[in-house]
Amino acid sequence: MNQLRLTEDEQDCLQELINVAMGQASDQLARYLDSFVYLKVPSIESVDADSLATTLDQQQSAMAVVSQGFFGYEGIRGEALLVYQDEDSERLADLLGYEPDELSKDEQLIDISSILTTTFLNVFASQIENQISYSAPKLLPSRANSLSEHLDQLTFNWDLALKVNINYQVTDYSFNCNMVLLIPETAINNIKVVLNRILEEL
Amino acid sequence: MNPGVLTDEISKKFAEKLSSKITDQLNTGILIVDTEFNIVMWNSYLQVHSTKVSNDIIGKNIFDIFSELPQRWLSRKLASVLQLGTPNFCSWEQRRHLFELPHTRPITTDCEFMAQNCTFLPMQDDGDIEHICILIEDATDVCHYQGQLQKALDKLALMSRIDGLTQIYNRKHWQESLEQEFAKARRHEKALSLIMFDLDNFKHLNDHYGHQGGDEVLIEISKTIGSLLRVEDVFGRYGGEEFAIVLPETPIKGALELAERICQTVEKSTITFKDKDINVTVSLGVAQLSESDTSFETLIMHADDALYLAKNNGRNQVCSAKTTEFLQQASA
Repeated sequence: MNQLRLTEDEQDCLQELINVAMGQASDQLARYLDSFVYLKVPSIESVDADSLATTLDQQQSAMAVVSQGFFGYEGIRGEALLVYQDEDSERLADLLGYEPDELSKDEQLIDISSILTTTFLNVFASQIENQISYSAPKLLPSRANSLSEHLDQLTFNWDLALKVNINYQVTDYSFNCNMVLLIPETAINNIKVVLNRILEEL
Repeated sequence: MNPGVLTDEISKKFAEKLSSKITDQLNTGILIVDTEFNIVMWNSYLQVHSTKVSNDIIGKNIFDIFSELPQRWLSRKLASVLQLGTPNFCSWEQRRHLFELPHTRPITTDCEFMAQNCTFLPMQDDGDIEHICILIEDATDVCHYQGQLQKALDKLALMSRIDGLTQIYNRKHWQESLEQEFAKARRHEKALSLIMFDLDNFKHLNDHYGHQGGDEVLIEISKTIGSLLRVEDVFGRYGGEEFAIVLPETPIKGALELAERICQTVEKSTITFKDKDINVTVSLGVAQLSESDTSFETLIMHADDALYLAKNNGRNQVCSAKTTEFLQQASA
């Protein structure tokens, strides 16, 4: 487990890549949403397998979780979880440019999640000269423990989770969610190779 | 970078031929539209299933050809693919179908159209996205089995709460309900009462009519008493011939009245078993949750004490818990 951890330089480099990816993604989003998007610098934490469920369960207040798998070349793959609190999802239809009666609340959550995940990861992938495909996003059942159950049933053993706290403010209201990227060991090693390549180029 | 791309001219031609063969063999619908949402290409799967003809649809707008599509919503969705260059998805779990296509199991399932998972993929050409590829996958089977599974789960959930013989709540569910009502009563400072009752001389009844006779009595008594209750009352079989009713937002006065009504109704009713008339009576103990009760178990204990009192006083009667301070209010 220890050798999987990122060094300080690697962590900084990753933070920078994510900042740039998030910046470009939010720029694209702003155009798509036809509205000014103010983005706070995302905070990144790496969370290990044991403490993720606990960390997320602490924010248990009737949250919704949308999961979406991603896979690219050179074994870069994993699963993105978007975690919402109840109050985060009040005006999603508005934000997305739909009429509220055109789609259900579940669909709104899935739609915004897919957009956030894919725009962000697409930019991230192009920075590391990769290309990423996605599986269809899924809303996890809204039961207690459904998140821990889901983590147990994943198709791969993940060793590191990157918790990226995203905060968007869109003109007259704010939108919050947590993006958690679950990444298996092999993918971490591949990311580390990429990070070190970038670090060497500097 | 991209493995599997064939560069050589001959391989390219071969690949084109092969890919059109493959797309026409696929069990997935493929529809390609341009940025104005005009149809550029489709595969034979879609042609076969939509019973439309190529000549009629190529070059036409998708919303004119498939008039069932929700135009405003789908336009917005497709716009996200064009603008963001990212794929978008639509699952049968949120929308059973987008395209009205027949499916292969019209008899065994109850849905009219094929349940679908749709994927909208951006197709990049020299940096610009000029087309969107729409993939339509049949999810009718998954949808059908998911429905069956849900029905089975609902049935199981119900069965785990019900007593098999009497069809009223079992002890486990009854006790969980009492626990919840106890918490609610404490939180909202509401009254909560409990009736526990027992069939008189049940052993004697079993000896006389056999266990089947005894069972018949339990079933009939449960039915009779069930019809006297409000929807919010929780009626359960506590064990053997002992029953209990949780009465939310009910002070002891109301609980005693109900207990009396149960006592009289049971005494008056006759149960027929193998052409023989059986008459039974019940003894009932009633208690209301008091300030000093620290748990729901204490409430059970008080109602149980009252039930023993009713038994000792000669059965076929109602007694209330001696300890409660509510008795004076009730008699006043």
